[in-house]
Amino acid sequence: MARIKIDHDKCTGCRHCEIACSLNHVQNTANPRRARIRVMRDHNRYYPVIAGPFVDAACTSKVFVEIGDLQYDMCAVCRASCPEKPYFIEAETDIPLKCDFCGIPPSPSCVRWCNSGALELVDD
Amino acid sequence: MNGWIGRCLRVNLTEGKHSIEKIDPGLMERFLGGRGLGVKIFSDEVDPQTDPLAPDNKLIFISGPLVGTGALTGASCNVITKSSLTGTLACAKMRGHFGAELKFAGFDMVIIEGRAEAPVILSIIDNKVKLVPALEYWGRTTVDTESLFKKNLGNQWISRETFLAAIGPAGERLLPLANIVNDRFLSVGCAGIGAVMGSKNLKALAVKGQHSLQVADGNRFVQVVNSLINKLNSSPLTSQSMSQWGTAFLVGLCYQKGMLPQNNFRGGTLSLKNIGTEALNSAFRLRSRACFACPVACIKKTDVKHPTFEGRGMVPTYLAIGSLGVNCGVSDLSIIGTANMLCAEMGLDPVATGGTLATAMELVEQKALTPEELKIDLRFGNGEAMLDAIRLMATKGGHGKRLGQGGKALADSFERPETFMGVKGLPLAPFDPRAIQGLGLHFATSNYGPNHLYGNTFIDELLNAHEILDPWDIKGKPQLVKDYQDTTAVMDSLGLCSWPLMGLKFKNYVPMVNSCLGTSHNTDDLFLMGERIWNLERMFNMKAGFSDADDCLPDRFINEPIEEGPGVGQVSRITEMLPEYYRLRGWSDTGEPLPETLRTLGLENS
Repeated sequence: MARIKIDHDKCTGCRHCEIACSLNHVQNTANPRRARIRVMRDHNRYYPVIAGPFVDAACTSKVFVEIGDLQYDMCAVCRASCPEKPYFIEAETDIPLKCDFCGIPPSPSCVRWCNSGALELVDD
Repeated sequence: MNGWIGRCLRVNLTEGKHSIEKIDPGLMERFLGGRGLGVKIFSDEVDPQTDPLAPDNKLIFISGPLVGTGALTGASCNVITKSSLTGTLACAKMRGHFGAELKFAGFDMVIIEGRAEAPVILSIIDNKVKLVPALEYWGRTTVDTESLFKKNLGNQWISRETFLAAIGPAGERLLPLANIVNDRFLSVGCAGIGAVMGSKNLKALAVKGQHSLQVADGNRFVQVVNSLINKLNSSPLTSQSMSQWGTAFLVGLCYQKGMLPQNNFRGGTLSLKNIGTEALNSAFRLRSRACFACPVACIKKTDVKHPTFEGRGMVPTYLAIGSLGVNCGVSDLSIIGTANMLCAEMGLDPVATGGTLATAMELVEQKALTPEELKIDLRFGNGEAMLDAIRLMATKGGHGKRLGQGGKALADSFERPETFMGVKGLPLAPFDPRAIQGLGLHFATSNYGPNHLYGNTFIDELLNAHEILDPWDIKGKPQLVKDYQDTTAVMDSLGLCSWPLMGLKFKNYVPMVNSCLGTSHNTDDLFLMGERIWNLERMFNMKAGFSDADDCLPDRFINEPIEEGPGVGQVSRITEMLPEYYRLRGWSDTGEPLPETLRTLGLENS
């Protein structure tokens, strides 16, 4: 099954993927808040997060993860949007967004515009 | 409207009021936007003779029409005002994500007028424009200000998407060397504007929003951007050198051609071993960071490991290594990196600060200024003293007060103006104009003082990216300088970064501009607009009291040949090139735009 592999180490935080997604899904429109991929930042590191399922209740398992000497907020890396985290919800219509791999066969526009190698389409 | 939002926010700090205005579409057509439109509006509204620190001076933040649309490297926001260091027009290029976020917040342009009674932060978050009292932020460094402001927002999801442009302690104290710092560490690269923001009691600008930007022909636009990314990847300069080391890769090249200034442009014997790219690799663990929509990612971040400065920061760029490093005789990369970070935290401009320190060091060497008087052992090569001096400068502490007024004021106060290496009051960017003639001509004639980013002639002269030119020869250089100055004016106005010109020709951008904005420009149209913008800026400066007498380089470059190194024996031949440059520009012998030139450009009424 095809999936998008994310290499956090390579992400430069240019957010070109957000615009690529928005231009592909909403005609002639560039707006990161209407994209199904968002780049989060923590401690000068960048994490592309791809929209997953919408949940209508916040979970209670909020955790912090320690990698090396830094602490990361798992809530930021979580793919779901929930009442606590208002991401991946289209502002004008309130419709939750979810990644659709830009159609069948999958050819995600974010992967095409990602120049740092952080996003990669793999089939396994 | 394609690319544009078409709205302008005007904030009057004296009255604490704001209004939202529509931008005249006719002006957008003639001046493109960004730098061009900003300069037009500024020169219409502000008297050129205004004191830069008076409430009458205005501060314009403006993003170009391509910013935020996903156009390749469309990220830059220009800040336009009258500079308190040079007295000319100042146009800073803000990199990072601030410019794009300003568009998403729903405004192309923010005009700031008047002066607030007490410190404020202008916050434009989700369509709410507010002036937040900023007493608790006053006195804090730029980094602290950003962290505290985001913490005070109270919601991590809002604060994650908010971007700030702030001044540090230097700007609050109205130092002419101060500038604005955005996205935590990115200096906007233009001295003299931090003090203007400080004089308005405006500590910072915060933006966030969710407006959409329209693109004229989305499908075509996506294709064009794709092909431009591929083109950039096939050029070794952008895909390898810039991506690996950022602009710092220029250090070795400039050193080999004798362009890297040492010890206040007097030459020296520093070894490349300590400052080249290999040294950079071993001193820092490099991590790439990109501005909005940039596939090159030339900003390098790292952990600064140094006992005097513990923290995370930026790897020094070419400008920092040149100005704060070798030109001050310092070749320790960790000290240069620390100095660069200190400048960003304090809100000082690294180039202007480095130039001022180099002047001070030469004055010490000439025994005009004594270390006892300064209470710092400031001399060429003493890195620790340089760090102390920067701290004192920013806080106007002790004897640093004198240094903070800028190199020209310092040299003049000792009646030794020959020790100041700069034009129009701004210290030179670290390129020796004797060894690169075209850039020398640009430094002399630039409307914004000697900054290489307003006319990147070194792309052809040094890097030979499109044409193979001899940097020491003057043949064809006036035309080259004019072409690059106009190109940069257009690219700034559109909101594009000019570094990718290393890998792309300007004509490659034209399809992207047209598919995004729905226009049918060709290269010549756009060049004409660039020329129009350049002439408009020139006219503002002339009304502010500048003339052809200011189009010169310091005497050292004309009279004293380079003494050693690869460029030995070279002097600047600026006097031979200047008449030809004036002729190409359509200016009189005294550098004034001729009436017929202005008529061709449609500027006769301004």
